[in-house]
Amino acid sequence: MAKYFEKTDKWVVTFRYPLEPLEPPRELRGKPEINPDLCIGCGACAEACPPNAITKEIDYREGYARIRIFYGRCIYCGRCWEVCPEGAIVLTNIFEMATPSKDDLIYEVNLELHTCSRCGRYTEFTERQIHRAYTLLTRIPRERRKELLDRMFLCRDCRRQVFSHDALRSRRTDKYGRASQTPF
Amino acid sequence: MGGRPRPRFRSVWVFHVDASACNGCDIEVLDVLTPFYDVERFGVKLVPTPRQADALLVSGSVNRQAVIGLKRVYEAMPPKPRIVAAVGACAIAGGIFYDSLAVYGGVDKIIPVHIYIPGCPPRPEAILFGLGQLLGLVNKKIEAKILYPRRHVLDRRYGVLFNERLYKDLRYYLTRYVGYYDRDYILDDLLEIINSSRTVEELREKIMDKASRLKDPRLREVYSIAGGYIVEKIKGETGTVQGKHRVQV
Repeated sequence: MAKYFEKTDKWVVTFRYPLEPLEPPRELRGKPEINPDLCIGCGACAEACPPNAITKEIDYREGYARIRIFYGRCIYCGRCWEVCPEGAIVLTNIFEMATPSKDDLIYEVNLELHTCSRCGRYTEFTERQIHRAYTLLTRIPRERRKELLDRMFLCRDCRRQVFSHDALRSRRTDKYGRASQTPF
Repeated sequence: MGGRPRPRFRSVWVFHVDASACNGCDIEVLDVLTPFYDVERFGVKLVPTPRQADALLVSGSVNRQAVIGLKRVYEAMPPKPRIVAAVGACAIAGGIFYDSLAVYGGVDKIIPVHIYIPGCPPRPEAILFGLGQLLGLVNKKIEAKILYPRRHVLDRRYGVLFNERLYKDLRYYLTRYVGYYDRDYILDDLLEIINSSRTVEELREKIMDKASRLKDPRLREVYSIAGGYIVEKIKGETGTVQGKHRVQV
């Protein structure tokens, strides 16, 4: 009888999990996190998220773009990780997320908004997005780059004004090539 | 004995309510009762009627039919503990159906909830963790994080042969060959090789050398295909150096 118990003791299959820590498999798609050093706040993850667990909102008053994950609604599909152009989304294998309060299930990254160089108001894109666009512009031919650089740092309204002004200027010229005094 | 908190409840009898769930969470709840995750060792027992139950395990985004049953079950419970655990993404905030017209989106809009167990579906371990918290065996591990990072992003330093377009194409092709999970490990490895080499010949040699040293024939195949692809793409361009590479806008 004692032998029998000795043997069966080795055959216990039950995990002692909540009492002892358990190492989840490496492949487990657990809670997604945003690497705050790499995120540029483009909002591609918010676009791709099927249950809108990730949302992007722009706070013009405080001057921040907020990328917020609400884990309560997350279905762990990993699409945010798939679309992220900067590789900023990290899929961890953490699953121990049960909590008595819903407020604990929030992960938020606040990124500074860019200010328009003409009117000084907050634009709808972040400082980091501008930085990213600037690094891409260095590979463009110089003559094309100048034209783009003029408008890159402007907000949407100022850009429209500058564009329309330039367009009208180029069309309405007199026979000497000068801009006409009346635009219309 | 400082580590483990003292149990709050001796043995909790639970009643499982399916409030219009897709059955994913329900199967995981059944898994918790199997010998692997044996929840009955903590005194938790599944009972057939809410009149005997101390706790409810509710799964599913509550729709208009389910809300009637859910309310009746809650009222049928004995008034004393009346614990409610919301299991799964749907029960917490409606999950993927959160903006549907047929759905209330969350158990906490109908009855008060004591513990939220996220997951779609939650693993049996996650449900055990939630129930353990309810019983006072473990403490919660997650808390809200609100981050305000620095203004500028760090420039990642790449070698002379790095080309962003190529990197993204390679990512796409590798997904087709090896799937999502292995892809990133291979891609990291290839990126390291690309960044450490200065000429195309050196790059080709390094990748082929790496491929020949691998034991897994599947990986060897993938490395040789990816290596050929990279070398062909980089050679095809006029300037291999990143500074000379031009993007058409």
